Amino acid sequence: MKVAYYPGCSLEVTARAYDLSTHQVCQDLDVELEAVPEWICCGASPALKMSRLLSVSLSAQNLALVTKQGIQDVVAPCPFCFRRLRSAQSDIENDSTLRAQVERVIETHVEANLHIYSLLEYVHAHVGLEAIRSRVAKPLKGLKAVPYYGCYLVRPPKTVQFDDPEHPTSLDTVLESLGATVVDWDFKAECCGAALSLNKTDTVTRLSGQLIREAERLAADVIVVACPLCQANLDLRQPDVSALDGQEHHMPILYFTQAMGISFGHSPRSLGLHGHMIDPLPLLKEKGIVQ
Amino acid sequence: MFRITGDPSERLFLDEVVKRSRQNLLECLQCGKCTGSCPVASAAVGGPRLVIAQVLSGMKQAALSNPMWWYCVSCGSCVTRCPVEINAYEVATALCEIAEEENVPASEPEIHLLDELFLKSVKKYGRLKELRLVASYNLLAKQPFKDMGKALRLMAKGAISPFEMLRGWKKDPRTTRIFARVDQIKRESAE
Repeated sequence: MKVAYYPGCSLEVTARAYDLSTHQVCQDLDVELEAVPEWICCGASPALKMSRLLSVSLSAQNLALVTKQGIQDVVAPCPFCFRRLRSAQSDIENDSTLRAQVERVIETHVEANLHIYSLLEYVHAHVGLEAIRSRVAKPLKGLKAVPYYGCYLVRPPKTVQFDDPEHPTSLDTVLESLGATVVDWDFKAECCGAALSLNKTDTVTRLSGQLIREAERLAADVIVVACPLCQANLDLRQPDVSALDGQEHHMPILYFTQAMGISFGHSPRSLGLHGHMIDPLPLLKEKGIVQ
Repeated sequence: MFRITGDPSERLFLDEVVKRSRQNLLECLQCGKCTGSCPVASAAVGGPRLVIAQVLSGMKQAALSNPMWWYCVSCGSCVTRCPVEINAYEVATALCEIAEEENVPASEPEIHLLDELFLKSVKKYGRLKELRLVASYNLLAKQPFKDMGKALRLMAKGAISPFEMLRGWKKDPRTTRIFARVDQIKRESAE
């Protein structure tokens, strides 16, 4: 299976581990990732907040690049990028005035007929649990994982058209296929504070802190995520949560692709597991999952 | 719920927000599910219900200087739970655009500053340069050493590289043009 791959800006820098592990597991699952040539930033939350025309135009430029690439399916590991691509495509399809303006801005016609997937959806629905199971070399036995979906993958339901907006289960089933013990919780799709980490740090510490404390209360070993922003907030703000609570937290935050990669037998380093603020390796060694 | 007094200017603002956001605020029941679901609502900041009430009541200045919509992270909880499916992040974009056009000072300058720096990077280079954004934001927000310890630890672990700051200075004329054309269309529609 060949798909157009839109990594997004975070995967080039702070979320390189997500990019590395995505490439490893997609290769195992016979998914060929062909990067969108010369892709540009989707504008993320700043463009979405400040100008609708700008936000839609930036994603439309990327859609046009995928069309030029000649591939129908495009996969985005970052949920915000994914939602922007989907949102822009449906806005262009349904609003001819907007389409005309956007095409004037990017100086290209937009087909708006692509299949846009988040990486989680593509792995869950198109690769399938059976194929994932067949690749497992080292089951994640005894690893208690809470699946954390965050916001952008599952909301708004009409835009993303994926899973359940309040109680999603796709990531649960992926983790179960890897042999992990999935812990159900109420915070699957609660917000981590998203893009406010630098400018409203207290808000992010409060929101991410709730998630970390709840995962601890449920005696989970790890939180598994599918979003670079969720990973960064839960991992990098965890020392701030510890300082606030006057109590050390140590909850490793893994990308689901890293969990897949470990169970497929890849080395921790090749999955970027050494780079997290909260080091997951002692725990994974203790569980006998990695050497 | 319709609290407009009858002054045509009030209705103008409401119509403008409805048109830009494509959200029919006149259907709002003021039930408060949005605010109850909103992760960034607080006593200090308020919630989306109040913003919508202000728009419906013709309180233009209050709505445009309400900090709530600056805080909005577009999580989509409001629209998921709203009985009439009003999407408050679309309302946030509408209010932000109108506030900018009318030169209303940002009620949340820190959030505004980060958004501006982010877009400046995209405009110039085509992609966001994450580490440079963090450094320039912390510098301009007069907190140059914030999170420095964390950055050093990540560098020691090899997760991020200081050379990242030096890479990728190649300009991208495509995004520069996209930003210029968006500005041009905005100017034309203002006339």
